[in-house]
Amino acid sequence: MKNLPPKFPPLTPALRTGSLTLLFFLILSFSISYSAERTFKDEVGREVTFPFPPKRIVSLAPNITEILFGLGLDGEIAGVSIHCNFPEKAKTKVRVGSYINLDYEKITSVTPDLIIATGAGNTREMVDRLEQLGFPVYVIHPKNFEDILESIIHIGQVVNREKEARVIIKGMKKRSLRVIELTKDLPRPKVFVQIGDAPMVTVGKGSFADDLIRIAGGENIAGNEKEVYPRFGMEEILKRSPEVIVISSMNPEGDYQKVLQEWNRWKTIPAVKDGRVHIMNSDLIDRPSPRIVDGLEDLARILHPERFKK
Amino acid sequence: MNIVTPKKVLTISIFLSLLLILVILISITIGSVKVPPLRSIRILFQSILGLRGAGSDTERTIILSLRLPRAILAGLVGAGLSVSGAAFQALLRNPLADPYLLGVSSGAAVGAIIAILLGLGTFSLGLPLASFLGALLTILVVFYFGRQDGKIRPNTLLLAGVITGSFLSALIMFFISVSQREELHTIIFWLMGDFSFSSPRAILIIFPYILLGVFLLYLRSRHLNLILSGEENAVQLGVDVEKLKLLSYLLASLITAASVSACGLIGFVGLIIPHSVRLIFGPDHRLLIPSAALLGASFLIASDTLARTLLAPVELPVGVITAALGGPFFIYLLRTRKVIKTL
Repeated sequence: MKNLPPKFPPLTPALRTGSLTLLFFLILSFSISYSAERTFKDEVGREVTFPFPPKRIVSLAPNITEILFGLGLDGEIAGVSIHCNFPEKAKTKVRVGSYINLDYEKITSVTPDLIIATGAGNTREMVDRLEQLGFPVYVIHPKNFEDILESIIHIGQVVNREKEARVIIKGMKKRSLRVIELTKDLPRPKVFVQIGDAPMVTVGKGSFADDLIRIAGGENIAGNEKEVYPRFGMEEILKRSPEVIVISSMNPEGDYQKVLQEWNRWKTIPAVKDGRVHIMNSDLIDRPSPRIVDGLEDLARILHPERFKK
Repeated sequence: MNIVTPKKVLTISIFLSLLLILVILISITIGSVKVPPLRSIRILFQSILGLRGAGSDTERTIILSLRLPRAILAGLVGAGLSVSGAAFQALLRNPLADPYLLGVSSGAAVGAIIAILLGLGTFSLGLPLASFLGALLTILVVFYFGRQDGKIRPNTLLLAGVITGSFLSALIMFFISVSQREELHTIIFWLMGDFSFSSPRAILIIFPYILLGVFLLYLRSRHLNLILSGEENAVQLGVDVEKLKLLSYLLASLITAASVSACGLIGFVGLIIPHSVRLIFGPDHRLLIPSAALLGASFLIASDTLARTLLAPVELPVGVITAALGGPFFIYLLRTRKVIKTL
């Protein structure tokens, strides 16, 4: 009788509740410590791990900056590129360099927990170097209008503003569908978009402007060129006789007269003869940001003035 | 002034080494983010000793991962290009020779551009590897055409090198004319010489070639002296002239190939440093080679520091500074003609 094995205390209801609660808090504390960091797959297939949600974000391109501000971020934006000019507030942020030259010291000094870069503009070497320095880099790579919507969602997910991102693209989709609806039965004018002066560079398949032309109900005369930014000589343009010419410029008000004068030498081009030479802000048709839909609407107005009387 | 003794070489080398260390220390205290100079130096010394105390993590990253690798790489390339220039000047017996004369740099550039256009720049080592391969191919081609009757003739080599270089330059222009906007940025910046990607990995890859090349050429200093007085004289004095020409050609080209693969084209260093050293210390290679290496290192580190601070926050390509300093100096050299006499 004296050497019976010890008995465990009976599992009373109180004890059971108590141990389950303890177990629950243990599991909770583990999951809290792991949810400090999250891993996302970016648009070029890389796995990126960073503290979530990120509180110090650096943007390496103007479109990314516009998207971040559009999602309602401000204090979280720790650095932008020197090209970032919209919204006005972007100009007050710390500048960390350009497409050609990143100021790695500046980036290091603002201690970002996430850097967002774009495949069109930032180079692989830059991304590698930043990763070597210990900074996670999320790369987007939109190639057409639909991709831009996707990129806005991805950035929204990555900065914990997915809801706001979906609101933005819902608006963009609605406006673009309206443009398609209003222009769908109209004939497609031949369009030439000029984005460079010497040499004359236009937009081919794979550029945003080409996609916009298609959606806005036009036909890009360079739309079959396999290069994204083909170089055309004047002979080629004369041969393809565009009915509308759109010049993409960083300084639309300043350049207009000069550009118009240049084109007026070639009166055999239908667009020049009919006075359909327009100038647009390049930020609106070449930048993959929420404002691309503004560019789309402006372009539609230029291509189909009869339909969009305002 | 013209007698070279081991003691003289040692003294001057120590003096130039101290200068180099000073230049390195100054360069790590300068940058787009203000870090107090004393703290930068403390961070450097503490990391050498394996300690961690000074400075915040950010400052340590800036000094140790950004400025220091950049200074070391610039120093290595400066030393390499200077010694390579001196070797080519001896090999071709021509004061106008520099590391890029025989087309190696154009070959490296073509390799790099092809890699960029094929999208191979997406592999981290893609660009340096491709440009090194381009350089090696050029070395072989020029060597093959530079020989006559199985021997290397300086004038034939020069001609072969210049013509190959011109052809490759035409190729470069062709590639530039057909490349797209994004690629152009990368290509042009690479062609202008750029240290902004300096990383410890780049240093590890480059330094064996440069150190080995410089050291092996230094061992041949006496022979290089003799070959300057003419090949027949050198043969009579017991120098295996063909082997010397082959070795100096290969070593100098390899150094150049490694340098260009690491940071693009940086001109004038290989030309003005050897001549400057000759003006000060004389043409004896036993003194010329170590002095050119040390002085070239200091010069390029200083030029790179200037390049990134003169127009801050814009970074000038370092080739702009070396050309701006080198061009006028070269004209001065031509007018005084002191150099041509001593060579």
